[in-house]
Amino acid sequence: MTQRPYWRFLALLCCLWFALPAAAHKESDAYVTLRSDPDNAHVLRGQWDIALRDLNFAIGIDSNHDGAITWGEVKAHRQAIERYALARLSITGDGLTCPLSATGQQIDRHTDGAYDVVYFKAVCDKDIPNVLGLHYRLFADVDPYHRGIITVHAHGGTAGAVLGPGNQSAQVNLRQPNRWRQFKSFVYDGMWHIWLGLDHMMFILSLLLPSVLIWRAAAALPGQQRGEWQPVDRLWPAFVEIVKVVTAFTVSHSVTLTLAVLGIVALPSRLVESGIALSIIVAALNNIYPLIDKRVWLLAFGFGFIHGLGFASALSGLDLPAGAMAASLGGFNVGVEIGQEAVVLAFMPIAFILRRTRFYRLGVVRVGSAVIIAISTCWFIERVFDVSIPVFNVILPN
Amino acid sequence: MFCLIIGLRIAARLHAKQARRLIATVALTLSALTAQAAAPNAPFTPADDATVLQRVPTQTDPRVRRFEQLAEQQRRAPNNRELAVRLARTYIDYGRSTGDARFLGRAMAPIEPWMHTQPTPVDVLIVHATILQSRHQFDAARNELKAALKRAPGNAQGWLTLATVNMVQGRFVEARDNCVHAANTGGNYLAIVCNGDLLSLTGHADKAYALLGLIERGGPQIPADVSAYVQGLMADAAQRLGRRDAAEAHYKQGLQLTPGDNFLLADYADFLLDDQRYQDVIALLKPYTDSDTSFLRLVYAEAGLDPAGARDDIQAMAERFAAMDTRGSHLYRREQAGFVLHLLNQPGRALALAQKNWQVQRAPKDVRILLETALAAHRPRAAQPALDFIKRTGLQGPIVTRLAQQARQALANATAGDAS
Repeated sequence: MTQRPYWRFLALLCCLWFALPAAAHKESDAYVTLRSDPDNAHVLRGQWDIALRDLNFAIGIDSNHDGAITWGEVKAHRQAIERYALARLSITGDGLTCPLSATGQQIDRHTDGAYDVVYFKAVCDKDIPNVLGLHYRLFADVDPYHRGIITVHAHGGTAGAVLGPGNQSAQVNLRQPNRWRQFKSFVYDGMWHIWLGLDHMMFILSLLLPSVLIWRAAAALPGQQRGEWQPVDRLWPAFVEIVKVVTAFTVSHSVTLTLAVLGIVALPSRLVESGIALSIIVAALNNIYPLIDKRVWLLAFGFGFIHGLGFASALSGLDLPAGAMAASLGGFNVGVEIGQEAVVLAFMPIAFILRRTRFYRLGVVRVGSAVIIAISTCWFIERVFDVSIPVFNVILPN
Repeated sequence: MFCLIIGLRIAARLHAKQARRLIATVALTLSALTAQAAAPNAPFTPADDATVLQRVPTQTDPRVRRFEQLAEQQRRAPNNRELAVRLARTYIDYGRSTGDARFLGRAMAPIEPWMHTQPTPVDVLIVHATILQSRHQFDAARNELKAALKRAPGNAQGWLTLATVNMVQGRFVEARDNCVHAANTGGNYLAIVCNGDLLSLTGHADKAYALLGLIERGGPQIPADVSAYVQGLMADAAQRLGRRDAAEAHYKQGLQLTPGDNFLLADYADFLLDDQRYQDVIALLKPYTDSDTSFLRLVYAEAGLDPAGARDDIQAMAERFAAMDTRGSHLYRREQAGFVLHLLNQPGRALALAQKNWQVQRAPKDVRILLETALAAHRPRAAQPALDFIKRTGLQGPIVTRLAQQARQALANATAGDAS
């Protein structure tokens, strides 16, 4: 083998190690934040964070080539940076370009180093429209993998886009449709939370089971040792009873749901979940040994507080801006109500029709409540002691 | 009744998953939108002009002088393809050794004009495939390489790159074929490197070690980074054979040849972490915390010494991962899985990351993280793909063998539990 080709093979070797997980910094990003100006409806205020190492690569900031960029060097290049950057971003409103001008310079630290902050304003001819056009070309010629992460806060809304050399333009929509979609998705979520969150369902059913019945104590029943459930005569009182229960439950769980999601109230989930299990035991037990027969709504109201905290766990961890928070919280609550009403509407006519049968009074109310007690007792033990009951788990993994 | 309840319960679980995903998506989108607000520090004005804000490559580094010179030439002759390809290679090379992924984008820029010509020149395709590969876009890289090699079957570099892509993804049959082509077109040295790597990954670490030993001292005409790479392969093979002293000696030699090499640093640090030599890891990586992979291993070592004291750095590492998520970059799912498992103690999330990673790459460390996370999350069935892989390929190594044993045991217990 001659010397030359051998050398070529060695040069070829260069590609071998690139297959290894070599990249260890993230690639180049810049962050643009635009906010509407509270004093002037034509103006957007911008903050653009651009990595110093990217600027140095594109236009050279390290004047003395010592490998260290100082604040002095960044300041000296302020105009050059602003010219370079602002020529590579366009903002349009209603088809008209809003000219950009620089207003200040600072430094920001990100996870991968120091960034120059270019403050600027965009002055549009008219009020900032709902739909903004963005065109972003920073570093398009020197780094195709660069990304501009753009966030716009205006009209009380937040919108964003991730742009780069391969995808330079975006329209961002600042008005309500997003919020409405969000609201709807949370309504849906709330509904399913009720229908499939078996414990909430059991609680509501336990409270509703006797709503078409009325308890007669032993004293009122000649010749009997103990009291019993007897059917109500008319639909109306049963209906009123159900409305009271559901309303009470709604009021109290809405209160704690809101408080918990807003972070005002926080209880350990073990306590909340155990409390929910306990509430089901009590509600179902009350159907077999009624302590409260006239004011079941009080039970609903009292335990509603703890169920609200349970609902909140589905929404927890959402660190939403105020507007989005209202939409999600409202939507979720509405969804929970819809889910609940649907259960009531399905349950009530059947219960009313069956109320005179032994099947309903014994099979549904007594046996059903007993089953509910058994299940919720297992839940209670599991949740309080943080254990899993082997056989129970096969039937009802929780 | 119970069927109904179980049905409801399963539906509830499914739905809970969907809801969680929905909520996670909403939260992620919003966190992306508020990335600015989430930035750890607010903008500030430095007090002193002399304040150093950022270290950048310096011209005292010959590699930097080389790419600056080439970039200057390329600026003057932007239509010179050979120059553009050479510049791209130089950037990739620098990015690879420092671990600075920005240089992948910078390498793309000079070759970009030719990516739009039909047919794309083979040398451009191959360097482009190398960039894709470095960004862990292995499937795309393989397709481009195959297309290029169909047109230029004598391109040793292309075969070697393709072999490496296939090895990272555990496609050893294809890799073996690629190594044959690389040997035929590139000569003995390439043949040994390619086959040494392959043997080491397929249960023949002893043969690999012996084979690589033949080229360990390639003489003065072998570039230092090539020799360092061979040292890295030998260290891997020695580890698989359980010869830890030999492995350490190879890492040290490799790092002597290419000080600060990002890849060797990561591997050597992993080796030290397995032995809980935290002080050594800190001493090794302290100068290289700019690199995410080095910083991550440094944080592991700090947490090993003093979990409470490492809290700030764990937070800083979490922010680095969050910044990558914001841009939609998932190069480090394996690293992230390890971080989430060992430092955030969230085995379920870690397993999900390891499983996603498994869809992209199947190097020995990918096998290991899948086993570790499946065991930690008590979901031994999730380890099955890794167990099958080990069985199929014969992957060796004391740690991976022990983990596989545990996973098999857990799997057997789980199956017995099902039967009873």
